Amino acid sequence: MTALRVTAKKASGTLQELLSPRAAGWKDAPEVVLPLQPTPLEAQPSAYVQKAWAGRQRGAIASVSVKALAAGGQLALRIEWAAAEPRHTINDNDVFADACAVLFPADGTDAEIATMGSADKPVTAWYWRAGAGAPNFATAKGLGTVSREAKHALKATGEWQSGSWQVVLAGPARSAKIGVAVWSGASGERAGLKSHTPSWHDLKVG
Amino acid sequence: MAKKATPSTRQLAMVFDLNKCLGCHTCSLACKTAWTSHSGMEHQWWNAVNTFPGRGTPREVFSYGGGYDAKGEPRPGVFPGKRLWGEAWDFDYEAVFGSNRDEPIPLHPREHDGAAPTWGPNWDEDMGGGVYPNSYYFYLQQVCMNCSEPACVEACPRESVYKREEDGIVLIDEERCHGYRFCAEACPYKRIYFNEGRNIAQKCMSCFPRLEQGVAPACIRQCPGRVRHIDYLDNEDGHIHKLVKKWKVALPLHPDFGVQPNVFYVPPSSPLGFKVNGEFDDEHPRIPHEYLRELFGPGVEQALATIESEREKVAKGGKSELMDILISRDWTDLLGPFTTDATKLQRQPVR
Repeated sequence: MTALRVTAKKASGTLQELLSPRAAGWKDAPEVVLPLQPTPLEAQPSAYVQKAWAGRQRGAIASVSVKALAAGGQLALRIEWAAAEPRHTINDNDVFADACAVLFPADGTDAEIATMGSADKPVTAWYWRAGAGAPNFATAKGLGTVSREAKHALKATGEWQSGSWQVVLAGPARSAKIGVAVWSGASGERAGLKSHTPSWHDLKVG
Repeated sequence: MAKKATPSTRQLAMVFDLNKCLGCHTCSLACKTAWTSHSGMEHQWWNAVNTFPGRGTPREVFSYGGGYDAKGEPRPGVFPGKRLWGEAWDFDYEAVFGSNRDEPIPLHPREHDGAAPTWGPNWDEDMGGGVYPNSYYFYLQQVCMNCSEPACVEACPRESVYKREEDGIVLIDEERCHGYRFCAEACPYKRIYFNEGRNIAQKCMSCFPRLEQGVAPACIRQCPGRVRHIDYLDNEDGHIHKLVKKWKVALPLHPDFGVQPNVFYVPPSSPLGFKVNGEFDDEHPRIPHEYLRELFGPGVEQALATIESEREKVAKGGKSELMDILISRDWTDLLGPFTTDATKLQRQPVR
């Protein structure tokens, strides 16, 4: 599909203010709706997962709304999606929390998004999960290879209200290609079971 | 064919003799105090002992799918919620110990939200099967089976679960685990627990830090009933090989699950049954063979017959290698090569 453009203009407020999804600064930022689709089942690196999820609904979230702002050399991305049955935390064996991630090609230009990159073309990700406390910065060279970095400067806040999650993820600002992935906890989605943008979109800072 | 675990060069295996277990749960407590006393692990019983016929831990333990079907394809499984296992109950200690009232106050267990528990480890311990005077029961011990075709290893998309090449022990790498819980769904024996606080799967790891120092696992070493044997399956002079391969009296639990477990069970012999008129009934064993076949597969009748004939041989004054192994007059014979005294353990600090 055609790449859409997400533009991060300079914000009037501080990054700290923008970490609230309800901050006034977000009101006038342009919104881009990115369509999502389920990660292909045949790409899952486990025959068990392929068998157990054949015929089950995957990729429950069909689209996300994305806004972007720049403040103090940092990029803040506000991601919103409808979640009628939110999962705020993991509080049982069979409960999975809602989550989202922003993906970037590690070299800034090219990588396979549906497989979370490959050995020679990795992706990086900013990952937020409801109830987890801190976000994760991760790199991946294919499904099942996500590696979290112990040290990173990411910040995140997530709120659920009026039937939707609003998550702000903030990190170093730069223009790049981006993708988004969302996991619906109520649908049992985790790991490679998720919905994601099938191709890269353009993020322009400034 | 979906199975993908790398075969190990050697395989550690265990045999549990169901005729000797007295249901004292010393094994469970030995494991609990050694490994699962930390925060987030309170509900975990890596070693579980349940009375059978019974519903087990979790409730209806063998009904959750997982493992492989007859064609070798993974069977979808379920990881039941924690109420079906039994939570780490809390108790109102203050009411019991802080009260000056004369009448006794029951120590009511409570779940995290204050609800009364509806299930727990060995919940139906006094149920059993059959009708008086032909009632019967036995205890079934469960740990990680260190399967030769471990469904948990195949199920993990991150390769966080692996089978050790040197001894076939199946382990979860807690650094790699992201808490997806496909392993717990895929394990047909339901021997994998979830640590909510750390968002990781955890399970019995055969006390490998002890094994590496020549010390037998805590559940085996502390069993007062001498129920448990451990050794490498390929040691032709060892108990395991003799019980499993030579005498064929130790059988896998639910071989139909398709995962080739490496914990084997000596099936329970029946006490004599009674006829309606009160006479002994030699025709019908008190524990129905069809029930034992369901648990231990088609080899169970031959195994019971072998045990019976060897027992009679000894009763008549003869010698029996099989009876000597099952009795194990020197308890260290149960431990295979892992006879080092536990007091010699070098204990690593908890991370």
